[in-house]
Amino acid sequence: MSAVSVKESAGSFGWVRSAETARVLGTLVLTLGVIAWAGGDLFRQDLALLGATYALLALGMYLPFNLAGALSLAYSAYVAIGGYAVGLVATETGWPLPVAYLLGAVASAVLAVVLGFATRRLSGFYLAAVTLLFGVAFQSFLLDAKEITGGALGIGSIRPLTLFGGEVDRRSFIALTLLVVWIVAVAVDRVRRSPFGVALQSSRDVPAAVEAAGIGVPALRLTVLGAGAAIASVGGGLFTTANQTIGPDTFTLSLVMLAIFMPLLGGQGSAWGAVLGAVLVVELTFNLQIFERAGSLIFGIAVLAVLLIAPRGILGYAGQGARWLRGRLTRTGGTR
Amino acid sequence: MSAQLWVSVVQIGCFFGLVALGYYLVLEGADFFNFALGPFAMFSGLTASWLMAQQGWPLGFAAVLGIAIAAVLAVVTEVALVRPIDARTGGGELPSLIAVVAVLFAVEQLAGTLFGRQLMPGRSWLPDTTLDLGFVTVDGQTLVLVACTLVSFTGVWVWMRKSKYGRILRAVGSNREAARTLGMPVGRVRLVAFALAGLVVGLAGQLFSAKAGVSFQSGFGWALSGFLALVIGGTGSVWAPLAGGLLLALAQTLVPYYLGSASLDYAVLAVAILFFALRPSGLFVRRVRV
Repeated sequence: MSAVSVKESAGSFGWVRSAETARVLGTLVLTLGVIAWAGGDLFRQDLALLGATYALLALGMYLPFNLAGALSLAYSAYVAIGGYAVGLVATETGWPLPVAYLLGAVASAVLAVVLGFATRRLSGFYLAAVTLLFGVAFQSFLLDAKEITGGALGIGSIRPLTLFGGEVDRRSFIALTLLVVWIVAVAVDRVRRSPFGVALQSSRDVPAAVEAAGIGVPALRLTVLGAGAAIASVGGGLFTTANQTIGPDTFTLSLVMLAIFMPLLGGQGSAWGAVLGAVLVVELTFNLQIFERAGSLIFGIAVLAVLLIAPRGILGYAGQGARWLRGRLTRTGGTR
Repeated sequence: MSAQLWVSVVQIGCFFGLVALGYYLVLEGADFFNFALGPFAMFSGLTASWLMAQQGWPLGFAAVLGIAIAAVLAVVTEVALVRPIDARTGGGELPSLIAVVAVLFAVEQLAGTLFGRQLMPGRSWLPDTTLDLGFVTVDGQTLVLVACTLVSFTGVWVWMRKSKYGRILRAVGSNREAARTLGMPVGRVRLVAFALAGLVVGLAGQLFSAKAGVSFQSGFGWALSGFLALVIGGTGSVWAPLAGGLLLALAQTLVPYYLGSASLDYAVLAVAILFFALRPSGLFVRRVRV
C-alpha cells in the first residue's frame, strides 16, 4: 500500500518536499533518541558530548573541504578558539556564556578568512601543509601565552550556562548540544542543495566555469572557510562548557585527521555522512573496549578500506540501496 | 653560538635532507608528496628499537629488517592504494592527498598497537667512537649519519645519471606525458621511486632514532620537516633537498637559541608562508624562466 502512495506523488514536486520533510523529521527523531539514550548515565553523556563535538567539527570541515575541495587543516585551532572564548568569558567577565559562543565563532571566522587569504594561491598538498603548520604554531601559542591561555594548565572552573535565570544542568546541556548538531546538520545539508552549494561544488570541479558564470571563486572559498571555522568553534565552545575546563591538550592536531576521515566513512554525499562518521569514530576509539587500544587502528584500516572499495561511504550505499528498493517497489506497484 | 650546536645542525640537517630526498624521488616519479614517508621512517626506527629491546636482536639484523619494512610499506602504499585511487579518480590531487593522510594515520596506529605507545630509545651504530676536533667533539652516531647521508645522496645522484631506471625517472619527472608517449615504463619507474624513497627514509629513521628516541607519533613531525626541507631546497637538483634540510635545521637551531623556544613554530610557519609567496619552487630551480 505504501508503495502505491509513493508512486502516486512521485512525479510532482510535492514528493521531493515530503522526502525532505521525512529526512528532517527522521533525523530529529534519531537525535531525540540519542538524547534519551544518553539520559543520566555519565559515561554515555561523555560519549554523546564527544560525538556532538566531533560532528560539529566535521560539519565545519564539510563546507570548505568536501564541497569546495579546499583541505584546510587548521581546524584544531578554530575548535580551541571556541573553547578558550568560553573559558575567558566565564572567568574574566560577567557576560552570559552565549556571548562567548558568538565571540569565538566570529574570532575563528576572521582568523580563517585571514589565513585563507594568505594561502589563497595554494591548493592541495601545499595548502594542507601550511594550514597544518598554522595548527602547530597555534598549539605552541596556547602553551606560550600564559597570561591569556593559562599555559599548560589551561583554564579551569568554568561556570555552567545559565538560561532564563536558572543554571542548565549537564544532562539538559548535552541534550541542547545534540539539538544544535541537528540544526547545524540540517542547515549545512540545505546549503549543499542550494544554488550557493551548487556553485561551491562546481568551484571544486570546474572553477573556470563558475568564474565565467560571474561568481568569484576566491570569495566563495573564503566565505565557506569562515563559516566552517565558526561552526567548528561552536563545537569547541559547547564541549568546554560541558566539561568546565579547557587546556592545550583538549583539542590536538590528530583531531583534525579524524575529522577529515569522518565524512569519508559516513558518506560525502550528504552532510549527515559527517555526523554518522563522527558517531562511528567515537564508537571505535572510545566505546569499544573489547579492542583495547586498537580502536584507532581499526578506524585507520576502515578508512583505507572505504577509500579503496566504497568511495561513497556508508550513507552513499544506503541511499543507493534505498533507491533500488524504491525502484523495485514502484515497478511491482505499476504492474499490479 | 657554541660550536657544539653546529654539530647538532649538521646532524638534524642530514636527517631532514634524507627525508626530503625521499619526497624528491616520489615527486619526480609520481608528482605528489608522500606525507606517509615520515611514518615509514618512524616505523623503521621503532621496529629496530623494539626488536633490540624486547627480542634481543643484534643491531645489524634489526636495522636491515627495519629498513626493508619501510621499503615494503612504501611499495604496498603505491600498489594497493595510490595506484587504484589514481586510476579511479583520474589522477586528481585531493584523493591522493587523502589516501596518503589515511596511510599516515594507519601506519602510526599500527606502530602504536604493535610496539606500544611509549618513547623507545634508539641505539648508536658506533657507540664507542668519538671524533675530537679540538673545538668540538663529534659522536659516532653523527659520523655515521653524515657518512650515510653523503653515500645516499651520491648514490641517488649517480643512479639518476647513469642507470636506466634513474634516467627514465628524470625523464618522467620533467615530462610525464612525453615519457609515456615515448613508451617508457612510467608505472614501473614510479614503483622503483617509491621503493627507493622507502629505503632512504628507512635508513634515516634508523640513524636518527638514536639521537632522540622514537615513538609512534614521531613520524608526523618528521613528515612535516622533510616536506619543508624540500620546499626550501626545491627540486632543481638531487642535492637541493640536502641544502634545504641543512637550512631548515640551521633555522630550527638558531631561532630558539636567540628568540626563545616558543618562537620556533611561529618561525617555521613564517618561513613556509614566505617561501610559498616569494619562491614557490624553492632555492634551486631547474627550469629557465622565459
